[in-house]
Amino acid sequence: MPVIPVAGSEEFANRPVSPAETRRAVSDAVRLHDVDAAAVEAVDPLTYEVIRHRLTSITEEMGEALKRMSGSVVVTDCNDFDAAIMDEVGEVVQVGLYNTQLAASLDMAVNWTLRNRCRRPGIGPGDMFLCNDPWVGGGLHQNDVSLFAPLFVDGEIFCWTGAVAHQVDLGGVSPGSWSVAGTDVFWESTPIPPVKIVEGGEIRDDIEDVYLRRSRVPRLVALDLRAKIGANNVAHERLRALCQKYGAATVKAVMRRTMDDAEARLRAKLRELPDGSWSSVAHQDSARAGDREIYKIVLNLTKTGDRLTFDFTGTDPQVDGLINCTYTGLRGGIMPVVLTMLCGDIPWAPGGIARCLDIVSEPGTINNCTFPAGIGKASVASAWATTNVTTECLAGLLDSHPEHRQRLMSACCGTWDFALLAGVDQRGGGFVTMLCDSMAGGLGARADSDGVDTGGLAVIPMGRVADVEMNEFAFPMLYLWRREEPDSGGAGRFRGGVGASSCFIPYDSPVGGVHLVVSAPGKALPLAPGVSGGLPAGTQYDVLLRSTAIRDALAQGRIPTSLDEVGGERELVPVHLETGMGPDDVYYTHWQGGGGYGDPLLRDPAAVAADVAAHKVSRRGAEEVYGVAFDEHGHVVEAATRDRRAALRRRRAGLENEEVPA
Amino acid sequence: MTVHIDDNLEQRPDGAVACRHCGTAVGVAAEPLRDALVRERDPQDAGPSVRAEPAHFTDRRVVLRLTFCRGCLTQLQAEIVPADEPSFRTRNLAVGR
Amino acid sequence: MAHVIGIDIGGTFTDAFAADETGRVAGVKTPSTPPDFSQGFLAVLDELAAALETDTRSLLADTDYIVHGTTSTLNALVTGDVATVGFLTTRGHADSISIMNLEGRYAGLGADEVQDMVRTNKPAALVPPQLIREIDERVDHKGAVVVPLDEEGARRAVRELVDAGAQAIAVSLLWSFRNPAHEQRVGEIIAEEAAGLYVALSSDVSPRIREYARSATTIMNTQVGPRLRDYLQPLEAELRARGFSGSLLVMQGSGGCVDSGAAPARAITTIGSVLTGGVVGCMRLAGELGHRNVISTDMGGTTFLAGLVVDGEPVSTTSTVLNQYQLSVPMVDVHTIGAGGGAIAWLDAGHNLRVGPRSAGARPGPACYGEGGTEPTVTDVDLLLGIINPDNFLGGRKKLSRELAEEAVRTHIAEPLGMSMDDAAAAVYAIQNAQTADLVRKVVVTSGQDPRDFVLYAFGGAAPMHCASYAADLEIGEVVVPLGPTAAVFSAYGLAASDIVLTAELSSPTNFPPPPETFNAAFGQLRRELDAQLSEQGLKFASVGYRNEADIRYTMQLAEVETPVPSEELDEAGLETVGAAFGELYERLYGKGAGFSEAGLQLITYRTRAVGGLSIRPRLAEVPPAEGDPRPTSSRRVFLDPRHGWQDAAIYDYRDLAAGHELKGPAVVEAPTTTVALPEGCVGRVDHLGNLVIRYTQA
Ligand SMILES: [Zn+2]
Repeated sequence: MPVIPVAGSEEFANRPVSPAETRRAVSDAVRLHDVDAAAVEAVDPLTYEVIRHRLTSITEEMGEALKRMSGSVVVTDCNDFDAAIMDEVGEVVQVGLYNTQLAASLDMAVNWTLRNRCRRPGIGPGDMFLCNDPWVGGGLHQNDVSLFAPLFVDGEIFCWTGAVAHQVDLGGVSPGSWSVAGTDVFWESTPIPPVKIVEGGEIRDDIEDVYLRRSRVPRLVALDLRAKIGANNVAHERLRALCQKYGAATVKAVMRRTMDDAEARLRAKLRELPDGSWSSVAHQDSARAGDREIYKIVLNLTKTGDRLTFDFTGTDPQVDGLINCTYTGLRGGIMPVVLTMLCGDIPWAPGGIARCLDIVSEPGTINNCTFPAGIGKASVASAWATTNVTTECLAGLLDSHPEHRQRLMSACCGTWDFALLAGVDQRGGGFVTMLCDSMAGGLGARADSDGVDTGGLAVIPMGRVADVEMNEFAFPMLYLWRREEPDSGGAGRFRGGVGASSCFIPYDSPVGGVHLVVSAPGKALPLAPGVSGGLPAGTQYDVLLRSTAIRDALAQGRIPTSLDEVGGERELVPVHLETGMGPDDVYYTHWQGGGGYGDPLLRDPAAVAADVAAHKVSRRGAEEVYGVAFDEHGHVVEAATRDRRAALRRRRAGLENEEVPA
Repeated sequence: MTVHIDDNLEQRPDGAVACRHCGTAVGVAAEPLRDALVRERDPQDAGPSVRAEPAHFTDRRVVLRLTFCRGCLTQLQAEIVPADEPSFRTRNLAVGR
Repeated sequence: MAHVIGIDIGGTFTDAFAADETGRVAGVKTPSTPPDFSQGFLAVLDELAAALETDTRSLLADTDYIVHGTTSTLNALVTGDVATVGFLTTRGHADSISIMNLEGRYAGLGADEVQDMVRTNKPAALVPPQLIREIDERVDHKGAVVVPLDEEGARRAVRELVDAGAQAIAVSLLWSFRNPAHEQRVGEIIAEEAAGLYVALSSDVSPRIREYARSATTIMNTQVGPRLRDYLQPLEAELRARGFSGSLLVMQGSGGCVDSGAAPARAITTIGSVLTGGVVGCMRLAGELGHRNVISTDMGGTTFLAGLVVDGEPVSTTSTVLNQYQLSVPMVDVHTIGAGGGAIAWLDAGHNLRVGPRSAGARPGPACYGEGGTEPTVTDVDLLLGIINPDNFLGGRKKLSRELAEEAVRTHIAEPLGMSMDDAAAAVYAIQNAQTADLVRKVVVTSGQDPRDFVLYAFGGAAPMHCASYAADLEIGEVVVPLGPTAAVFSAYGLAASDIVLTAELSSPTNFPPPPETFNAAFGQLRRELDAQLSEQGLKFASVGYRNEADIRYTMQLAEVETPVPSEELDEAGLETVGAAFGELYERLYGKGAGFSEAGLQLITYRTRAVGGLSIRPRLAEVPPAEGDPRPTSSRRVFLDPRHGWQDAAIYDYRDLAAGHELKGPAVVEAPTTTVALPEGCVGRVDHLGNLVIRYTQA
C-alpha cells in the first residue's frame, strides 16, 4: 500500500535543531538561562570536577528512584528505562547507564516542546510534559513514555531533566500494544505529542485520564507515571541545591564543558583512527503477521578526520507493518553503540557526542518513516537493526587500530525476542506482561576475547532478567527449563556469546490457558553478523507444542529436556503470531547470541573443548564448524584436528578435490 | 605504512590488500576483497546455529555467502543474506595517511 | 573478674580488645599471619594479657567470651581457595548460576567500569560443568509437588559428584523455601551415600525467593563451610588447651555473632565479618553518647567504608554482591565507597583532574611512603597541605617524604594543568572531600534518610583528616572522632561489645494482608526456630529480644521494603497498621506520591531477628577533666578550606588533651593513630570518653 500522507502530521515530523534556532523560536515566550563561552572557559579544574561528579550522582539517583518506584517488571527487573539531565534547550549533559536508546532522543522532545508549547499552554515552574510520540522524540515507539521537566532558577529555564520507561500496554489492537497484524499506526497506541500532565507541581487529572484510558493496565501505567514524577523531583531538588551553592552560571558552565569535553575526546579518538568508509547491511524478516518478505537497512559509515557520517542511502522504503521506526528510532539506533564502542572511556554526554555525527537518511524509509507508518515495535525492529548495522561498521572502523580494536564487539543478540503473555493470573486478576527472559542475549565477540554468554543486549549496559521463581510467582506459568543454548553464539576465532531459551506451560490460571503474542524476527536468517570472517550468531527459533501430554509426564516424574521429549503437535512459530495457549500447550522460545570474530578454524582447540564441556558449543558444532577432533574422553586430538581443519578449509571453499598450497 | 584492516587483512602503502596469514593479494583499497574466492552455500551449512530452513519463513532464497583468501583459504567474510542481494559489506581505507 | 575479648583479624593486622566489668580495658595490635591466621590470634592474646599485666592462661581462664571477626571466609572466596563443591539442582535450571540473571556481567562494578561495557565480563563459573547435576523433581509457587523426587536419580547424581571429586555438596531446588521436603530428602540421600560430607541445603542457608541468589549463596556457603570448620575446630581446641572455658563466638556480617560450633553450617553469614566491626563499634559508642542516628565513615589507607546506624540499630541489607555474584545474606550494609588515602589523583584524556577510584593500594602506596609509588595520592596531598606531620605519621611509626609527594603532584597534576603546587594539592583535597560527600549522600539517601538527621563518626587513619569538610558539605551538624582507648582497635571494641544475633526468614509470597492466622503462624514458626537455635548456643543471655519484619511491596513492583512488624500476635486491624507502616516507609524511601496503594500489596518474606544480649558489656573509662586551656605544641601552615587558603594552625598533641578542652579551627590534632583536621569555623571539644566532637560555628 502506498503511503497516504496525513495532512497536519508534518508539524510532528521533528528533527534536531540548533540551540540558536530554538532560542529564536522561543523568543520572549519563556526566558532561557545561558552562559557565554568565557564563563565556560573560566571554570577551574576543582569546581569542574566537583560539579561534574555531582551531576553524575544526580543522574544515578534519578535512575535509582525511577527503578524502585516503578511497577513494571521491564523497568524494575530489566532496566528498560533511562534518565537524563539536559541543558536549557535540551542538549543531553548526562545519560544514565540503562536503556540508552531511550535517552538518545529526549533532546528532540524537549526541543519540540520549547518551540511548540512555550506560548500555549506555556511552560512554567513545576510543570512536567509527557510524550510518547516517536515522530517528536523522547522514545522509539509508543510504549516508551517520557516525562520531562524544566527546572526554573530565578525565573529562567535553567535546565531540563527527563525520565523514559517502557510501559507494558497503552492500547492498540493487541495486548502489549504490539499489534502484530497491524499495517499502520492507527492499529497501534495513538501517539501523544508533548502534553503538560503536571502543572505547577500537581498532576492534571483530566490529562492523566486521557493518557490512562487507552491502557489495558491503567493502574500500572499510573504508578509508573508517579515513578517518573518522583525521579524528576529528586533531580530538581538536588540541582536547585547545586545552583544555590555554586551559582547557576557556574553549574551551567560545567554542563557546557562536560559536553565540550566529551566532544573533544571523541574527536581526538576519531583522529587517531584511519579515514575510510565501511558499509554493511542489516536485515529483518517479516513486517507483520503473514508477511514473508525480508527488509534491509544499508549503512555506509564514513570517517573523515574527526567526523563520522552515517549514510543510510539504499535502505528499503517504509512498509506496511509494525517494524518501521521514525528519525528518533534511527538516532536511538546509532547512539547506544557509539556510546559503548567509541565512548567506553569518554563521558556519556550525548549532547557533545552528537556533534561529531552526521546522519544522511531519506524520509519515507524503513528507519526514517513518515506518519502514519506502523512503529509499534520500532525500538526492537528497525531501530535495533540500525544498531546492528552500526555495530558492524564501527567494529570495522575500530578493527583497523591496534589499540582501539579492544573496544569493538560484533553485533549482539540480533533482535528482541518479544513474547507477551496476557490473561488471568493465579490470583484471579488480569495481567499483561512482556516476558523479559530474552534480555539475556549473547554479546558479540571481541577482537581479543569471546562475547559474554547471556551477557545482555547492545543497547542496555545494565539489563537484567527476572528469576524463574519471580516469574512463576507473578504470572500463571511454569518453566520446564531456562538454559543457555549451545551453538547460538556466532562461531569465530573468538566466539560470540550464546543466547538461551525458555520453555514453559500455562500454569494455575483459573481460565486454563493464556494469550500469547509473539514478534521475533531472525528466523529466516540470522540478524547478528560476525566480523573479520566470523560467522553470524544463530537464528531465532520459537516452537509451540500443541496438545502435549506434559502434565502426565510431570506427574509421572519426568521433566522433559528436549522438544522431542515434550511431544505433541509441533508448530514452528512464524515471526509474528497472536494466539492462545491451552493448558496442554508448551511454548519454547530460543533467542539469539552474538556474532563471532575471525575465522572459526583459527580458534584455539582447547577453547573449543572447554566450550563443549560447558555446553556452549555442541560436539557437532565443534567438529563441523571448528574442525576439532576429540577422543572418547572429550580431549582434543591434535593431529586429527590439524587434518580435519585442513580438509574443512578446502571443503567449505568448495575445493574438496583440488590441491591447495599449505 | 602497512595497516591492519582486520584480523585477516592488511593494506600496503600502495593500497594493495593482502592476507595477513599468507601474504596473498586479495584486493585493492577501494575493493579489498576483489580477488578473493566467494562461495555460496546453504545457510544450514553454517552449522547447527541455523536452527530451521529459511523456507519456513520466507519465499526468498537465502544463502550463506563466504569469502576466502585464495592462498590459504582463511575465511575473510561470512554472511547469511537473501541470494538476490549483492553483498553490501565492504570497506575502503584511505591510502597512505 | 570476668572479661570479654574481641579479636579482629584483617588482612594486615590482628587487633584485640579486652574489657572487664569495672571499665578496665586494653587494646593491642599485632601483624596478621596468613595463611594460618590462628597464629596471629594466639599471639595477640599474649599481647593482650601483657597489656593487662597478667598471663595468657589467667586471662583466658577469666574470660567469658571471645568474639572473633575473621576475614578468612571472605578471603577464601576472593582468592578462590575453597572446597571443591558439587551442585545439585532442579532439572532444567542448572544454567541459572551461569546466566546470573545477566546482571552478573556488571554487578558490583563501579559506574566507570559498567560504562566500558565492551570490556565487561562475567566471573569464572561458580561450579565447573562436571560438578553439576540436575535431578528430576519440581515444586510449584504454592509449595505443591508437581514432579515427585526421583530418589534413585538423586542417589546416582550424588555418587557421580563424589566420584568427580566433590568435597562438599550444595543443594538448591526450585521453590524449596516453600516446601523443603525434596531438599531435605536429598540431604538424607547424601548422608547415606557419603557420610560426613559437608552439605548445605538452600532451604536452610537462604530460604528466600529468587533461585539465582539462593543457589549462589548456598554454593558459596558450601565452598567456605568446610574451611571455616577446619579453622575453628583446632583454634577452639587450642584455646581450651590454654585454659579457656568460655564461648568462642564468630562475628557475622549481620553485626551479631554466633557460636563457633554453629558457624560452619552458616559460613556465608561470616563474610563481611570484619567490615561490620566498625559500624558495630559506632553503634556501641553512639549508645554511650546518646546518638541515635550515625553515619559511620572509615577511611584507611586502601578503602573508604560507609555504614549507617538508624534509631540505634545498624542499617542492614538482605543481599550483597561478591565476585559479581548476588548473595542473599542478611548483612550490615557497609558500602565500599572509595579507595581511602591511597586514591590516586590523575588527569583523564580530556585533561580533567580526577581523584580515584583507582588506588595505589598497600603496595606501592602513596608516593610519600617512598616505596616506589610515583603517582600522587590523597595521602600525599594531606601531607603537602600541612595536615599530616611527616615526622609524626601514625605516632611517628612511619616517616614520610615531602619531596616525593611534591614530585608526584608537580609532575602529574600541577605542571600539566599549569597550576601552582599549592593550588593543585588543594584541588585534590577538595575534590576528594566533595566526592566523599556525594557517595556518602547516596548511601544515606538510598536508605530513605536525610543526612542532616545524622551525627557523623570518622575513624580509620585518614577519615579524621577529611571529615569536617565532607560532613559540612552534607550539612551535618556534629562529627565524632573516636579517640579514647578504643581508637586504635575500634573494630575489635565493636566485636567485644556485640550481641548474639540470629536471623530466620521464610519466603511465602502472598497478597497482603493475608489472614491474620497465616501471618501469626509464620512469625510463630520463625520464633520457634530461633528459640531452638538460641538455646543451641549454650550461653546465658542478659536479655533476649525479637524483631519481626516483613518484606512488602506494591503488587506490581519488585522492590520490597523491609517493614517492621510488632512482635505480638496481630489481628486484622494490626495488619492494617503494618500495611500503613509500609506505605509510610515507601514514601520516605521513594518520595511523596510515589506509592500507589490501589495496586494492592504483596508480602514476599517474613523475617525475625533474635538478639541475645551477652552478660558482659564493656564499659569505657572516663578521661580526667581538663584543667586550664589546651596548650598547642606548635603551629604550622595548613590548607584546610579553599575559601580560606593557607592559614597558621595550632597543632595539638592528643595526649595533652583532657575532657572539656575546646579547640578552635584552624587547628590540627595529632593522635597516635590519626590526625584530625579542624578547619576554620569548627570547634572541637574533647568529651568525657576522650573523643573529639566537632561542631560548626559557621557554615
Ligand atoms: Zn591467506
